[in-house]
Amino acid sequence: MIQVSNLKKQYKEAVVLDVDHLEIPNSECFGLVGNNGAGKTTLFRIMLDLVRATSGTVKINEEDVSKSEVWKAKTGAYLDEHMLLVYLTPDEYFETLRKIYGMSVADLELHLSKFTDLFNDEILGKKKYIRDLSKGNLKKVGIAAALMGNPEVVFLDEPFENLDPSSQIRLKKLFLQEKENSQVTFLISSHDLNHVTEICDRIVLLEKGKIIRDLREKAEMMAELEAYFTG
Amino acid sequence: MFFELIRLQYLKSVRSTSFAKSLMTNILLGFLVVLLLGYVLGAGLLLKRIIGALAEDQDPLVVLNSYLIYYFLFEFMYRYFIQKLPVVELESLLHLPIGKTRIMHILLLRSFISPLSIISLLLFLPFSLDVVASQFGGLASGFWLGSILLTSWTIHWFMLWFKQRFEDSIIGLIVVFGALLLGGGSSYMGWFNLGEIMKPVFDFSIQSPIPIMILALVMCFSYWLAYRFYLSNAYLEDLSDEEDVRFVNQSIGFLSKFGLPGEIANLEWKLIIRHKKSRTILMLSGFFLLYGLIFYNNPAYQSEPGEIYPLFIFVGAFITGIFMIQYGQQFLSWNSSNFDFFLNRKDGIEALVKGKYLLLVSVSVICFLASVPYAFFGWQFLFIHLATFLFNVGILIHVIIYFALWKPKPMDLNKGAMFNYEGVGAAQFLIVIPMMAGPYLIYLPFSMLIGDYAGLLALGIVGIIGLLGFKKLAQINIDRIKSNRYEISSSFRQEL
Repeated sequence: MIQVSNLKKQYKEAVVLDVDHLEIPNSECFGLVGNNGAGKTTLFRIMLDLVRATSGTVKINEEDVSKSEVWKAKTGAYLDEHMLLVYLTPDEYFETLRKIYGMSVADLELHLSKFTDLFNDEILGKKKYIRDLSKGNLKKVGIAAALMGNPEVVFLDEPFENLDPSSQIRLKKLFLQEKENSQVTFLISSHDLNHVTEICDRIVLLEKGKIIRDLREKAEMMAELEAYFTG
Repeated sequence: MFFELIRLQYLKSVRSTSFAKSLMTNILLGFLVVLLLGYVLGAGLLLKRIIGALAEDQDPLVVLNSYLIYYFLFEFMYRYFIQKLPVVELESLLHLPIGKTRIMHILLLRSFISPLSIISLLLFLPFSLDVVASQFGGLASGFWLGSILLTSWTIHWFMLWFKQRFEDSIIGLIVVFGALLLGGGSSYMGWFNLGEIMKPVFDFSIQSPIPIMILALVMCFSYWLAYRFYLSNAYLEDLSDEEDVRFVNQSIGFLSKFGLPGEIANLEWKLIIRHKKSRTILMLSGFFLLYGLIFYNNPAYQSEPGEIYPLFIFVGAFITGIFMIQYGQQFLSWNSSNFDFFLNRKDGIEALVKGKYLLLVSVSVICFLASVPYAFFGWQFLFIHLATFLFNVGILIHVIIYFALWKPKPMDLNKGAMFNYEGVGAAQFLIVIPMMAGPYLIYLPFSMLIGDYAGLLALGIVGIIGLLGFKKLAQINIDRIKSNRYEISSSFRQEL
């Protein structure tokens, strides 16, 4: 599904990202952890072709992301509010996306019905612009938008941040459902070790731009990560 | 405390990331302000002679006094558009252990430190020393000048209240238009002469200190009005304007016939309607439709039948293309806060650019149609507008966008548009050159060699050729964005 090879990002002298090789197979739930400044967001941005790599390539479905755009039709992402149109209401925003993805009204309704619990009646049908929503609700809109149009890959940066505990649990359930039903490949970065170890099949640990652990054994993940982060 | 806050303000502007980049802009602006104030002082020094030339054989003071009210109406107008509200800094101060009353006084007083506050002084001080003092003595001239300054400063405080209270509402617009109508319209139409009605007040101020005392009270009252209003609304929710969604919910139906770009054009329309900065620009385009009234009927620009005064080409290009020029010169900066959204969609950039083209052309068509009544002054104006319109949508639009794509900068759309130079760089100043010179480059050779109408024809034909090659020309700009996408998106992600 995704291949990263010899990827490097350099600002002047400082190397912020240096990934020799990373392969993410189809329908894997890939977790990315690391302390602040480890390069998680940069890695996602490069994978989404939002930031130019100094060298190396990222391929999604065998396509070099910087060379074509076909992969974008099957990729959903929510990294930050720059990816939203904050001057619309959530309803208008989903309606706009519906047209962009060429979905029918029924498709959209079906899609949004999956989020009924998560939205908790605070998002849809409200006369409020996205820019006036609370941070948690903003995130919910972004996540629901990233999952629209049956994507094969979904990138989420800190999806649990700013959410209340019940929303976090509902979101986890949602991820597991999506994985089950439509074989979506999730790429999730998070600081919440409990959540990320629970939903992800594999966790990669970044430190100063380098991959220093690649954990696949569910049983050992938590212990290894805790050992690393307590230093 | 006051100076500490001023210092913080200074640090804020110096340390903002856009400062270093827009240093040139700031220097240029400062220079411009000094230049304009210099002009005002010059006008003040020459005021006596100007009045003498306009109204011969009359006492300049009498004439001036009868026109002062128009000056204040004018001041009301420009303050409405230019004057900034001091509430912006409120957010970061409210939670600190400084009394609210104190914060308000500081903010209000700070707003007073502005070039606008000394315009009246520069304009009328020379006149009061020269004319009033020599006729009535120093004390009288002091009273007279004092009355004028106090009136001007009353407008300052009043405007702080008025703008915060009514900005962006229908009432505010009605009052401003009312002021305009009252100022120009009433005496022009001969209903009543406002100047004559208000003249005794200023005449009286020369003879007695009563008007200056009353005006001082009025100023205190207007300060108090602003102060009370700001104090009782010193909450984030009150002063940050949350708008009513229902009012601004309209989509433009016909745009959705154009597929995805049409959708984006609709989005762009919502973006324009829902942000202060873009709304002001849209409103200005409406005002500029009247631009022709200054020139077309002006005896100074009359020409022989069959000939066209060269300046009119520029006026025509402006009237039919003002929105394109104003909005287009910051082409991508409008989307600086959601550029990643478009980057992340398949063919998102194409759709964005095409949608914007669609919108700009549509507004241009509307401006052209709205300018048809100028045919009342003569058919040549219709032809001028048609030719410049074709040239605008055929050629100029691509040129403006091409320039605008040179290092676009992020900007905050919720700030006002007047004297807000966010998102403005060297490119935005350079755009003026092709905008002014472009039409003449085509028009002048033909008009000089063959005739003025041949020049118009050439302008129109070049525009039509541009329209035929629209796809190719638009593709140049699309490709430019695509190849610079990393630089653009990373500069947009920076804090303002």
